[in-house]
Amino acid sequence: MAILRKLVSGLKVLFRPEVAEKEMDDELTDYFEEAVAAKVRSGANPEQARREVRLEMGNMDSVKHEVRSAGWEFFVETLLRDVHYGLRMIRRSPAFASLSILAIAVGIGANTAIFSLVYGVLLSPLPYPDSKRLVAVGLHQRGESGIHTLGVADFLAWGDQQRSFEHVAVFSAGSGSFALSGLGTPETIPGITVSADFFSTLGVSPVLGRGFLPGEDRPQSPLVAVISEQFWRDHLGSDPNVLNRSITLDGSPHTIVGVMPAQFRFPASKPLDVWAIRRFPPPQGRPPYGLLAFGRLKPGVTQQTAQAELDASAARVTQQFPTSPELVSTIVPLKQWMVRRVSTALLILLGAISLVLLIAVVNVANLLLARASVRRSEIALRLALGASRARVICQLLTESVLLSSIGGIVGLLLAFGSLKAFLAFGPGNMPRLEDVGINGAVLLFTFAVCVGSGIVFGLAPALEASRGSVNHPLRAAKGSSASYGARRTHNALIVSEVALALLLMIGSGLLIRSFLRLRDVDPGFRPDHLMTAVISLPRSYSTEPQIRAFWKEFLAKVESMPGVSAAGISMSVPPNQLAITNPFTVEGQGYDRNRKLQLAEEMAVSPDYFRALGIPLVRGRWFSESDKVEEEKDPMIVVINETMAKQYFNGQDPVGKRIQTGDPNPQSPWETIIGVVGDVKYQGLNAAPQPTLYVPYNENGWTPWSWQMYLVVRTPLEPKSIVPGLRTQLASINKDLPLSQVQTMDQLIEDSVVQERFRTWLVSGFAGLALLLAVIGIYAVISYSVAQQTREIGVRIALGATAGDVSKMVLGHGLRLATAGIAIGLISALGVTRILRSMLYSTSSTDLLSFVLTSAVLLGVALLACYIPALRAARVDPIVALRYE
Amino acid sequence: MPEKTAGLVQGTLDMLILKTLALEPMHGYGIALRIEQISRGVFQVNAGSLFPAFRRLERDGLVASEWRPTENNRHAKYYRLTELGKKKLKAETREWQTQIAAITRILEA
Repeated sequence: MAILRKLVSGLKVLFRPEVAEKEMDDELTDYFEEAVAAKVRSGANPEQARREVRLEMGNMDSVKHEVRSAGWEFFVETLLRDVHYGLRMIRRSPAFASLSILAIAVGIGANTAIFSLVYGVLLSPLPYPDSKRLVAVGLHQRGESGIHTLGVADFLAWGDQQRSFEHVAVFSAGSGSFALSGLGTPETIPGITVSADFFSTLGVSPVLGRGFLPGEDRPQSPLVAVISEQFWRDHLGSDPNVLNRSITLDGSPHTIVGVMPAQFRFPASKPLDVWAIRRFPPPQGRPPYGLLAFGRLKPGVTQQTAQAELDASAARVTQQFPTSPELVSTIVPLKQWMVRRVSTALLILLGAISLVLLIAVVNVANLLLARASVRRSEIALRLALGASRARVICQLLTESVLLSSIGGIVGLLLAFGSLKAFLAFGPGNMPRLEDVGINGAVLLFTFAVCVGSGIVFGLAPALEASRGSVNHPLRAAKGSSASYGARRTHNALIVSEVALALLLMIGSGLLIRSFLRLRDVDPGFRPDHLMTAVISLPRSYSTEPQIRAFWKEFLAKVESMPGVSAAGISMSVPPNQLAITNPFTVEGQGYDRNRKLQLAEEMAVSPDYFRALGIPLVRGRWFSESDKVEEEKDPMIVVINETMAKQYFNGQDPVGKRIQTGDPNPQSPWETIIGVVGDVKYQGLNAAPQPTLYVPYNENGWTPWSWQMYLVVRTPLEPKSIVPGLRTQLASINKDLPLSQVQTMDQLIEDSVVQERFRTWLVSGFAGLALLLAVIGIYAVISYSVAQQTREIGVRIALGATAGDVSKMVLGHGLRLATAGIAIGLISALGVTRILRSMLYSTSSTDLLSFVLTSAVLLGVALLACYIPALRAARVDPIVALRYE
Repeated sequence: MPEKTAGLVQGTLDMLILKTLALEPMHGYGIALRIEQISRGVFQVNAGSLFPAFRRLERDGLVASEWRPTENNRHAKYYRLTELGKKKLKAETREWQTQIAAITRILEA
């Protein structure tokens, strides 16, 4: 009510100013007349009375001004007037204005784009109801950390006994896929298997049909699946009667019970086509640990309580399987788990881009400062006419905020564009990209940055311009050199600009060096001329002989193809497609089950896999077709890698030695080492070498795992040229089998470093931008100071200074500034680059070469920027210069 | 001109105006004169602070105004106390007395 009254009366003044002015005039006149009348009554003569009253009341205009400034509308009026005036000033100096707007637009645009990523991925809540209560849950040995996968036994025990969660659920770890058949050409579609409470834990519901019902994951329940809206559209023609239709996944018919909305992607970063129910028969052992678990905490239940409960249930499972290790739990917010791989990189990007903005802001401050000395006479006039210093500063700040806001609007358009480009061409494997966009929070951020940077870059110039006596600048407005204070501010700004730019350049230098080293990593095999693909056998291949027979026939056909020099299959391929790890025990090590599990990358391969990839044999021999391994009585054989040989055999020849795999257990069968091969990267090019175990795919116990295999084919030809031949061979055995994920090895390697490449490019782009801005800044300031010093230079030349002396003087000025900036930049970089450490591969965060090289580049470019003004200074004609006024 | 109202505690002018208007509606000069008379010349209110105070009080809904003829047959803007203003005056007076009593006690202690 009170606010409304103020609003209405303020608006009246704003829209009908003449009415308010008239009333005020009338009232003041009346006051005056009354006062005069009173004085006359008490005996003064009218003339005398008028004079006295006029003296007492003071200046009428200043009284009116006081009255006007009592209301809020006064502020708005002033602002409007300042904005109007500011726009006029901007129009009057288009070169200055467009340069500053451009710098600010680039800075704010890039900041907005990066912030929208940070907001969408890291800051915004997950798009599920009450998502704060969602947590990721993992089990691991004491001394480890992070979210690890768990096994069926642990999930079932936890799900039965827990009281802390409303719902708990698991899904299959790894990048899941299904072989889809029965709908046109067979193909592989992205999808995972999940437990019954998967959707109810998240609190999401399908656009059509239902999620899974409790108990649908019991061993005997019928197979059901939920599909994505996109799959429904692309594969089923948006059939309105899609519910209860059947699709065949990995050879088993599943009944469709629901369709999820297009924006639902959990848990993958790429869209999934299908979520199929996973049935949980009573487990025979504790491993394999292939499930990722999450849950929705009951309101008010803490993570600690839930963790204690899970620890207790894990302890009971350890009793149930006495050979398995003791496991403890870790619980983290689900969002944190989803974004764990990108959060550091994103925050560093945000830091880097805010440095760019800072440099842009410093640049504009410099430009404004140069103009401030030009505008001193105008401002001196205002001060002389009675404007307060605060008023002048306010007006100048309004102008600079106006500049930054125009820059911000242009920047917002840039951000829209670059974000679109990023979503289209950037690394698609970033989680939560579907939640990224320019929304209210991002706009608020942009607005705050606009106003903030406007005030920051406007403040120093505004203070400088409104400084000092009223008299002096009016007299000396023309032809004088800039004040000592202004020059010092200019220099300080340039030094900080150079330091900031160097900081970014060093950061990008480090990332580039790390990336080059990553690209140069020896993956352990020859990646050129290799074709890879995935083949998944449907359930109709149900017995071990069937699976063996299929691979044997298929590999024989492929190897007989013209242009194929070797072909092999494996459960995992380099550089980062590792399927499983397995604990192992070396003979003589003992069976302490609380010893930290020794994990090896383990994979079933065909004999020619090594030859196809070009993995070197170090000792012993490879597998051969003649190895007898298919029966239970046959001795088991393994090939290990060099790292395992070094770490576990104390320099002895491991060939002929024996190991066991699985949890430490004296009853496990022994496996004999027959060969040692070179290390191969299976967990990314930047991963340290791990122990690796190779077993024959046709070995007893491993064949059921071989239903889905990578095919690797070496060819002297262009790798893609053999793909049609591969498809023909496959179809000749079974026309329903898809050849999926067809990629060259070079492509797989490129894809594995896409994040690294992307952030290296991005930071380098930022650094380039920073360099450009810094150079423009140096150029502008040196040119400006040469222009200001024209008279002084003229005098020097007239007194006998040579052109060389003069240009040396100008270059010296630039050199001093650049050197100071570089020194500060180097010192701060020593401290700051530490935050990059987690992103650097075998590159020290104080890598000498990166530091020296970037400093040299910056110094060279800075001197180049000073060269033009130096030349101009050397050509000053003393006569013209001295007549300059 | 020397500003004698400088001695006025911040916010007291508003209270004095409200108190003056509690007796009867008045126009601007009348209020200034009354404050001067009653304070026996201690407070001289000048137009530069009086009129902004009117605008403030009116915006806050403590006083209302209307134009009507004066005793000298001219038109003047008369201010009167609103219900809200009466309440405000009561509260301010009470607050003021408490403070004065406290300050006096401190000064005499």
